[in-house]
Amino acid sequence: MTVATAPSVGEIAAELEISGAWLVDPAAGREGPADLVVREGLIEAVTWLSGGDADGIDANGVIVAPGFTDLHAHFREPGFEDAETVATGLAAAAHGGFTTVCAMPNTNPPVDEPGVLRRIEAAAGASGSPVRVLVYGAVSAQRAGERLASLGELADAGAVGFSDDGAPVHSTPLFRSALAYAGMLGVPLVDHPEDPSLTDGAEANEGLVASVLGLRGWPAAAEEAAVARDLAILAEVVRDVPTARLHLTHISTRASLALIRRAKADRLPVTCDITPHHLALTDEWLAGSRDWSWQATGNPWQAGSIVAAPYETALRVNPPLRAVDDAIACLEALADGTADAIATDHAPHTAVDKDVEFGLAANGISGIETALGLILEAVDAGRLTLLRAIGALTIGPARVLGHTQRHAFAEGNPADLIVFDRSDRWRVEASALASKGKNSPLIGCELPGRVLLTVAGGRMAYGVDEG
Amino acid sequence: MSLAVPDEVGSALGTVVPSVEAAPETQSTGWRHRHLLDLDVVTWPEIELVMRTTDAMREVLGRPIPRVPALRGKSVTLLFYEASTRTRVSFEVAAKNLSADVVNIAVASSSVSKGESLVDTVRTVEALGADMLVMRHAVSGAPYLAARTFAGSVLNGGDGWHAHPTQALLDLYTMREHLPGGSVAGRKVVILGDILHSRVARSNIWALTAAGAELWLCGPATLLRGFEAWAAAGGAAGRRFTVTSSIDDALRDADVVMALRIQRERMAGGLLPSLREYTARFGLTRERLELAKSGALVMHPGPLNEGVEIAPDVASGPNSVITEQVTNGVAVRMAMLYLLAGAQAGGVASEESLR
Repeated sequence: MTVATAPSVGEIAAELEISGAWLVDPAAGREGPADLVVREGLIEAVTWLSGGDADGIDANGVIVAPGFTDLHAHFREPGFEDAETVATGLAAAAHGGFTTVCAMPNTNPPVDEPGVLRRIEAAAGASGSPVRVLVYGAVSAQRAGERLASLGELADAGAVGFSDDGAPVHSTPLFRSALAYAGMLGVPLVDHPEDPSLTDGAEANEGLVASVLGLRGWPAAAEEAAVARDLAILAEVVRDVPTARLHLTHISTRASLALIRRAKADRLPVTCDITPHHLALTDEWLAGSRDWSWQATGNPWQAGSIVAAPYETALRVNPPLRAVDDAIACLEALADGTADAIATDHAPHTAVDKDVEFGLAANGISGIETALGLILEAVDAGRLTLLRAIGALTIGPARVLGHTQRHAFAEGNPADLIVFDRSDRWRVEASALASKGKNSPLIGCELPGRVLLTVAGGRMAYGVDEG
Repeated sequence: MSLAVPDEVGSALGTVVPSVEAAPETQSTGWRHRHLLDLDVVTWPEIELVMRTTDAMREVLGRPIPRVPALRGKSVTLLFYEASTRTRVSFEVAAKNLSADVVNIAVASSSVSKGESLVDTVRTVEALGADMLVMRHAVSGAPYLAARTFAGSVLNGGDGWHAHPTQALLDLYTMREHLPGGSVAGRKVVILGDILHSRVARSNIWALTAAGAELWLCGPATLLRGFEAWAAAGGAAGRRFTVTSSIDDALRDADVVMALRIQRERMAGGLLPSLREYTARFGLTRERLELAKSGALVMHPGPLNEGVEIAPDVASGPNSVITEQVTNGVAVRMAMLYLLAGAQAGGVASEESLR
């Protein structure tokens, strides 16, 4: 296949002629060989190829997909610009194939009133990046979990949902109010389900690895109890507020997913996402294993799979990397639709916050640039179809946000797409990451699917240097 | 990371007895780890090498002047982030008996999160000329971070709930000294008490299962959390041990009973109703000890709460080897300092012993 592009990143309209690529179009439920032409940033023509024209084109080479949407990222600005800024976060997003990113409100000051939201939008505008940033407002003032933030004003200013991510709304009455109020405003409440009374001082998923390493256990039940509470409250709230919607973010355990599966069967308006690291990695990585979840046995000591030093703080994350069976359940939930989306929970941190004792390290993985690679590993292992995986990065998150997805490849629409080479493996190095957060446990790994090109809203967002 | 089983003794290490008079760099002991962080990566032949080296150190300790010049000119820094008298003094005496220079650094644990970072402290210690770093830290895994930074050898003197390898080695040494035949293979060894929070128990799991002991862990259910899963997984790996809350089952026909210290924080944490109730159900008393084999060894890593986890007459009774554990602790630590100095001189890569 050939790709002809002009002009370069930062310029206005993308000009593209792609012939003989594998096009993945989740909105149409279709994938196959195609040609694509973009003129002045708009899709001019998409031609599905057949017969002799399609010869030799398969899903293992260059792939064109709609630009990805990330429901969960931390851009740290304002307040923590040494860890990330909106500009570096958007550059990282473009490098990872994301053209729309939802920024979490745990900045300093937090996004609990419209001024902070406008400040983030202004930073995005000043960055020159065409990647779209959407902002969640905080649920509670100062994210303190005591009284509601300025939800209506935030919604008027463009907040696409509300979340106290990382400081989960522990007060059940406040959670109930927030769910109803957000429902009235027509946006989802995005909850990070965790019962903090069960995770005080917790360091690693409770189980064999935590026991052996002497790490304080982080029980799966802390998440599952919160999911159960959230769903029980949702069931009540929707009777009064039929527009109420709950989105549960970074679900990580089998039992949580079973609860959500049942709630969906009961037609509750609940959605959820899963991170790439919770489906591909397990707590065995803390012991020094580097097996993907689908390769792991549950006992890295017995399997002889320990190849790295233990206590790598880049692996410290909330919720913690879980047991093998939980990661497998995450893959199953994505495959069967229980999980609506893949979200990165991109959480950049400085070396100061990570180059410390495991128990003192900040939670979070810088993950927006490695998401595609991890997911393609799962696809290569036969755990997800390519179409489903790309769907969970595109139409899935769009539905969660209530966006009626413009058909990505409809002629006349602004091009919002990425081109990646599934067979081109790239080495994750700190210097290769556009994010300021180098806290990736995948540093040193080779991942498939180098992103060649990202076009957001008709404009070039990222292009790999030729030659 | 598989662990060698006891019958693998036929390796080249099988007969090496280091001559501890000489500097370790003048001979090859076969010890291949640059650091001693935990016993999970230490094979049974290597543990036996430690035992033989400890024999040699015991002989040194029996001399009128218990000192050899083996580590003359080496600097050993003791970096303790947690209050400890016994372990720190034991390492200090061990290093001095080998003629090393000793530097003591005590860091108040309250300053851990706000003061100088561990990495900076380790760099400073190295710049001040330390060859070996003995470290005690309240956070599990902290010595691994130090080992990644430090150019010399790191000896874990206890990290969080995770490991206390020299304690497990001295426990093993003490057991072998007293058990008929000098072996713990097939012997029933019971560790009794607060297993969940115990780095001593964790390191002993690796050491005693490598030695082929029939290991039992016993305590209240709240203080055994997570160990059932480990026992189940360990069984498949040939590292079998049994977990129970029945003290009678645990003590019946035991050859060795090791009681662990019970801490008052466990009541505040909601894990135990009261010390009184703990003592009534799990305290090691003379009556309970009747269930064990006659002459069963009584051990305790110290410091003791007499009358809580162990009755005073048991702690000082005829079967108690608690004081000997302390003496053996010095010998084992001399052995480890000696072997690590040799590995350092032999150019063992740091990464090798990080896993």
